[in-house]
Amino acid sequence: MNNKILIAIDLSENSLKAVDYVAKMMACHSVVDITLLHVIKEPSPDVMPDEQQRRSHVEKTRAETLGLMEEAAKRLTAHDIPEKNIHLKIQVCSKPVAVAELILHERQTEGYGTIVVGRRGMSKKEEFLFGSVSNKIVREARDCTVWVVE
Amino acid sequence: MNEALLEEKIAQYSRFPRRGKLNIVTDTSEFMNIKEGDVLELAGAFYLVRGEESEGRFGLDGEPKFWVKKAIDLADGSSKVIKLVFHESFKMYIGSTPIQCFRSPQKETRILDKTRGDPHFMKGFTIEDPHGNLIRIIDKIQGTRYYDYINNLNADHEAYFHEAFPSIFDNIVQCVQAINRLHRMGEVHGDIRNDHIFIDRKSKTYIWIDFDYSYEWSENPFGVDLYGLGNILLFTIGKGFHNVPDISACGPAGMKLLSCLTPDDLSLFFKHRVANLQKLFPYIPDSLNHVLLHFSHGAEVFYETSEELLHDLKICQTDLIR
Repeated sequence: MNNKILIAIDLSENSLKAVDYVAKMMACHSVVDITLLHVIKEPSPDVMPDEQQRRSHVEKTRAETLGLMEEAAKRLTAHDIPEKNIHLKIQVCSKPVAVAELILHERQTEGYGTIVVGRRGMSKKEEFLFGSVSNKIVREARDCTVWVVE
Repeated sequence: MNEALLEEKIAQYSRFPRRGKLNIVTDTSEFMNIKEGDVLELAGAFYLVRGEESEGRFGLDGEPKFWVKKAIDLADGSSKVIKLVFHESFKMYIGSTPIQCFRSPQKETRILDKTRGDPHFMKGFTIEDPHGNLIRIIDKIQGTRYYDYINNLNADHEAYFHEAFPSIFDNIVQCVQAINRLHRMGEVHGDIRNDHIFIDRKSKTYIWIDFDYSYEWSENPFGVDLYGLGNILLFTIGKGFHNVPDISACGPAGMKLLSCLTPDDLSLFFKHRVANLQKLFPYIPDSLNHVLLHFSHGAEVFYETSEELLHDLKICQTDLIR
């Protein structure tokens, strides 16, 4: 088990709780290496046909997201996790790929030992219709630890 | 085609005389202004507008769809459904769950292209008018809506289930296979409903129609389609939907049935709709009921792909007594 942790955040209240949880758990762990990952989904061309509009949407979201991720990173440094050990990563996805698959791919390619996700508290109906990132990660993750923070 | 020839063709293919000056429309942007009797000139072809399609949902005459015109192709007299561009976004409710929905001519165009050789999807092509509107020219299916077909069957459930149901079920499995082919191409239908399957009068083929609904990408892109397929299965296996108030109205026999139902037996999305149909009709095989329970309130596991659903439906086919 290595000391690399991947926190997948969607910037919802629950995903920020996951950041807080990791911050508290790892407060005394000076060699921990934490990456905050956020996936921006480019709108589907069927929903937003104009390419320029889609690009602008992504750029605007990226700028907003970066600010929020920096805020999330401060929650980690506030618990004495060194800034140099915290990484921010934003992935833009322009294809209809499941976020869980992207997270699992990222874990595998970068060799994270732990994935941390928040749980959004979906209803059964919502889970049926839209699917759940955390459930999929729990079900499909291999060779790593998964923390689901509620 | 000059106006005299157009008038001649209109007289030849239309049962009703046309009145007033001939109005030939090339820009379809203002679809509300395109009226019955107008002629659409699109990519060198001429179509006589016969009126608007209406929603026609659940056997009722619904609201007219002003962007969908009934038409006659003046080249050969064939009936067409012409879908003009109407970019709308609205909140659709699945049970009580809201979902943002977008109407996308691009998506329907793509699916028409991808399913061109597939008999289980409506046929047509897209042309662009001079203002860049993607207009879909669809072959009108001469046949019956699946919803009406099932509702008009004159048999009690047990007779239906043993006699008509096996072959209907085979057709529905073919419809699910068609949706599975669509999913494997990276597309979703988007609006799977009992009245979006037509049964062709001549070939008896079950045909999916209307693929222009689109949604934002979600973790499970097939969820909305699977919900629709679940509804169609409930409707088909039950020969209609069975709701608690209807059962309550059946007197003592209904009350006896109700007493054995639990909240878990009801639909996940419609709180009064019975999903565990075996409790109403005990001759429904376990394998078939097992499929239905995936759409019930008590379900712990859901289908995530049409492949998974098909796998279970094929087991049902072998279990049905022929």
